[in-house]
Amino acid sequence: MTTETLPLTRQDFVSNQTVRWCPGCGDYSILAQVQKTMPDIGFAREDIVFISGIGCSSRFPYYMNTYGIHSIHGRAPTLASGLAIARPDLSIWVVTGDGDGLSIGGNHMIHAIRRNINLNILLFNNRIYGLTKGQYSPTSRHGMVTKSSPMGSVEQPLNPIALALASEATFVARSIDAHTQHLGEVLLEAAHHVGTSFVEIYQNCVIFNPNEWIGLDDRRLRDENILYLKHGEPMIFGKNHDKGIRLNGFMPEVVQLGNGVSEDDLLVHDETSMQLAFIISSMEFPHFPAPMGVIRRVQKQTYTEGLMEQVKAAQAKKGVGDLYELYTSADLWTVTERETVKGKQTGALSLELDDEYMDEMEQKPEETTAMQDQLITPIATLQPRAPVSIDAAASLAKAIRQMNAHRVGCLLVTDKDDRLVGIFTEKDVLMRVVGLVDDLTAVPVANYMTPNPIALTTSLPIAQALYEMSIHGFRHVPLVDDDGRPEGIISFRDVVRRLKQNFN
Amino acid sequence: MSELEAQAEVEFEELESVVIRFAGDSGDGMQLTGTQFTNTSAVFGNDISTMPDFPAEIRAPAGTLAGVSGFQINISERDILTPGDAPEVLVTMNPAALKACLPELEHGGTIIVNTDAFTGANLKKAGYEENPLDNESLKNYQVIRIPLTTLNREALKDIEGIGNKEKDRSQNFFALGLAFWMFDRPMDTTLDWLKKKFAKRPEIYEANSRALQAGFNFGDTTRTFQHRYRIRPATLPPGTYRKVTGNEAVAMGLVTAAKKMGKPLFYGTYPITPASDILHALAPLRHFDVRTFQAEDEIAAMGSVIGAAFGGALAVTGTSGPGVALKSEAMNLAIMLELPMVIVNVQRGGPSTGLPTKTEQADLLQAMFGRNGESPIVVLAPQSPADCFDMAFEAARLAVRSMSPVILLSDGFLANSSEPWQIPDPEQIPAIPVNHPHGRDPHNGDAPYLPYERDPETGGRPWAIPGTPGLEHRIGGLSKAPRTGNVSYDPQHNEQMFFERRDKIARLVKAIPAQAVYGPKSGDLLVVSWGGTFGAVRSAVQRAQADGYSVAHAHVRYLNPFPANLRDLLSRYRRVLVPELNGGQLAFLLRGRFALNVQSYPKMQARPFKISEVYAKIVEVIGNR
Repeated sequence: MTTETLPLTRQDFVSNQTVRWCPGCGDYSILAQVQKTMPDIGFAREDIVFISGIGCSSRFPYYMNTYGIHSIHGRAPTLASGLAIARPDLSIWVVTGDGDGLSIGGNHMIHAIRRNINLNILLFNNRIYGLTKGQYSPTSRHGMVTKSSPMGSVEQPLNPIALALASEATFVARSIDAHTQHLGEVLLEAAHHVGTSFVEIYQNCVIFNPNEWIGLDDRRLRDENILYLKHGEPMIFGKNHDKGIRLNGFMPEVVQLGNGVSEDDLLVHDETSMQLAFIISSMEFPHFPAPMGVIRRVQKQTYTEGLMEQVKAAQAKKGVGDLYELYTSADLWTVTERETVKGKQTGALSLELDDEYMDEMEQKPEETTAMQDQLITPIATLQPRAPVSIDAAASLAKAIRQMNAHRVGCLLVTDKDDRLVGIFTEKDVLMRVVGLVDDLTAVPVANYMTPNPIALTTSLPIAQALYEMSIHGFRHVPLVDDDGRPEGIISFRDVVRRLKQNFN
Repeated sequence: MSELEAQAEVEFEELESVVIRFAGDSGDGMQLTGTQFTNTSAVFGNDISTMPDFPAEIRAPAGTLAGVSGFQINISERDILTPGDAPEVLVTMNPAALKACLPELEHGGTIIVNTDAFTGANLKKAGYEENPLDNESLKNYQVIRIPLTTLNREALKDIEGIGNKEKDRSQNFFALGLAFWMFDRPMDTTLDWLKKKFAKRPEIYEANSRALQAGFNFGDTTRTFQHRYRIRPATLPPGTYRKVTGNEAVAMGLVTAAKKMGKPLFYGTYPITPASDILHALAPLRHFDVRTFQAEDEIAAMGSVIGAAFGGALAVTGTSGPGVALKSEAMNLAIMLELPMVIVNVQRGGPSTGLPTKTEQADLLQAMFGRNGESPIVVLAPQSPADCFDMAFEAARLAVRSMSPVILLSDGFLANSSEPWQIPDPEQIPAIPVNHPHGRDPHNGDAPYLPYERDPETGGRPWAIPGTPGLEHRIGGLSKAPRTGNVSYDPQHNEQMFFERRDKIARLVKAIPAQAVYGPKSGDLLVVSWGGTFGAVRSAVQRAQADGYSVAHAHVRYLNPFPANLRDLLSRYRRVLVPELNGGQLAFLLRGRFALNVQSYPKMQARPFKISEVYAKIVEVIGNR
């Protein structure tokens, strides 16, 4: 995505926000070195992200003209981890302090490091809480007098370097705000390391803990008191390069060179030795010179490399994920059209009602379907067949003959005024007559008909006929005129035939 | 009498539906037995609804009431919505299971007991003073006594290479075989599964498959049973189906959403019951570019999701109520950063650690208000296991649209229950449009990028992601100025940004469906529910409607914002009843939001509603008018 053709300078990384740290704060110097280093780390500006938590140091991202998040107390490594996993292409920097990163965020710190997520973690250590105005921190010395420890802190401080090492860090380094050149070099090394780079930066809080790094941050004294670590070189320090570190049993000791002590007797720095790194981490100023530089550096697979390898391997083996395959990766069964005749009663009902309500909500005119149109047309449009009638006094034998002669399953039974009084169907023959009546000529049809049948007029809608048929189970519905005289008859089949037209 | 004659005397009885519960010690494999019975019934074509019920302890003391693990399944030829109020058939492997499940068994129901397990020691552990099989205590039930352990050992006696202890572990398959015979189901689905599962342990396959067949044959050849039962396939809409649990459906919904966004799915989470199965379902999906991240704690999981969202992934976390409590601070940051993400809360019994394996829906107000300051968030709730698919997808869609975190409130019941799911055609699922602003040339004097300039329609801010030249910007949790997003303590800015964040959530009503209602459009009573209670409430309303009551049901899946017509809908009924598995949280919200008189029906037993309970309440409320 690199589109910036001009070489970037420090100025390109300065944001438009006014920097608001206390005058003289060590953070200014660190900000300047970071901005100076950025053009050289090999990433385009848009591919760099700074993420911080809460505290003085955590204002940092606002002053960097890169992508950035000022998050919540102690959690910066978690946001950075998620971002690194989602976007392995980015250069991600976590800016934190001794309170943010080692107290409230201590858990996240050790886990981000042990996972070897590709992050650069800059821990500004001033051994005090600054933003909350001067309480002791997890790195404050035992006995330190602060606002919250007026009689001296009774807590033991933790050792950030040792903590990082115990978390299996692949890159651990230390520098100090005041030594800008050294800091710049360490930042560049951290940027180039693939994996978690943990950098402890001794930083001066001019307001609440101004004398913490005396002897180290003074240009005149620092070379006497700092051990500059270089891989493969003996540990020599002092302004005149006349002192060194020698191992006595398991313990390091400071020795004066000369008088029988030569460089060959000194410890040689090895960035790959965990044991040596722990020895270095135990060397505390002023009993020892303060070790600065890269303490440990080894190459291991990063979290994201491991994860993306799995993605690749899985895709090589199974192909790029296919949704249909995912959905069907279980026991399946198929429901075919035929079985749906019964319909899913409750579901269908629910939809209908919901739709009705929805329509009203949207104030739309009611949409009607072709089916509905058909159902509201008058029964007359079905062109009902002429009725086959029989007098109520006629015998059963005559009635059955009549049915056979006209090939109908239903007779309309009328009184002497030709008004409909009953209906006699083949079902009546089967249920009430066959085998039960000995002499068909002796009894009138009136005794075996269904009296007072529901009858409709031809001007009523077809829906009405369908309704009567469905709730009473009729196969035929007689039609009468206004005087109650049979006018015709419709069967269930007639209605179905009409409705069927809509399915074509 | 020959075997054939014996078999001929067992009659088939046609049932519309039946509720069966398998119960035993948590080491007896009852979940497996229930799942296999479910799979077979699903493939057979029945409608199914299941509810596992297991103790929080992985292995509670064997044989005790605390260790009873049960699996209830409702199989039907009709459309069913719940796992059933009370089991009609109880298959128990030990006295503790009998004791624990008997109070819920339907009067006159059938109990199948493993008589071998009714030893003095086991009876004592279950708290029985005398053997319930020897006295009158079970006289109201049909008790079928089977020396299951003995029969199973006998059936497996010539299998070599495994001891009695291992042989006994297959006796759940004997019980399953018997159930298959009793309910006339084929064994091939389970046999296929066993073959795959124990491909590398042929002797275990042999033991389990033989136990299964022995159980089936036992039913077939003895006269122990007077009846067998048939439940015909259900009449579901045509299509291809599978069985799905809520957690599986959430996982598939999220994968689908990611694919439809053209993004990798980032799932950052910390193991917690009952949400972990979502992680288990997603972790094997690396070929979908699913990037699961098991964080060091709940807070880290939430932080990682914010980072991933900033990077442009579909970022999701899953947890339960206690986890949400820990995530709250970071969720609030997400609300300030205005980044899209989904927070799945599979609710469990609370407060505090509460009842980890049991269901409840008491995190609604936590979702709405459980953060410092004014922090509006989108809240959705699926209504059934299969609906978890749709709502997980919906959560992603609304998150992207509003540039806001979305909480998806599932629950323990939905998570572990299962039902048939009609497999959708992935091609028919619409894409989720994602618009990342394009980069600009920083050297041509463009105006500065405005990370909080809002879309006039949605109110959402632009989602500019790292890697885009010219759009470098910083965002954070501090109060900010409109449009620029720069830190600002200006009182007017603070208030304006509050309105803007609230407004974009409110605007989502245009993107969500209106509230549907089941039943008459006005009347005596509207029952309003949300989440996993859907099946029980809908069934109860159906029953009341069939009995002639003027009652309707509205099941709310969109809880913030509410659908635009919800207030109007509520005001159309004389009374509104809100059954919930909490102390009355939705009722509280409805009263507060709409100033309407709403009657709450709370249940706090960490178990789902029964249809009969809700029905009785409906009748009571309407009767009291």
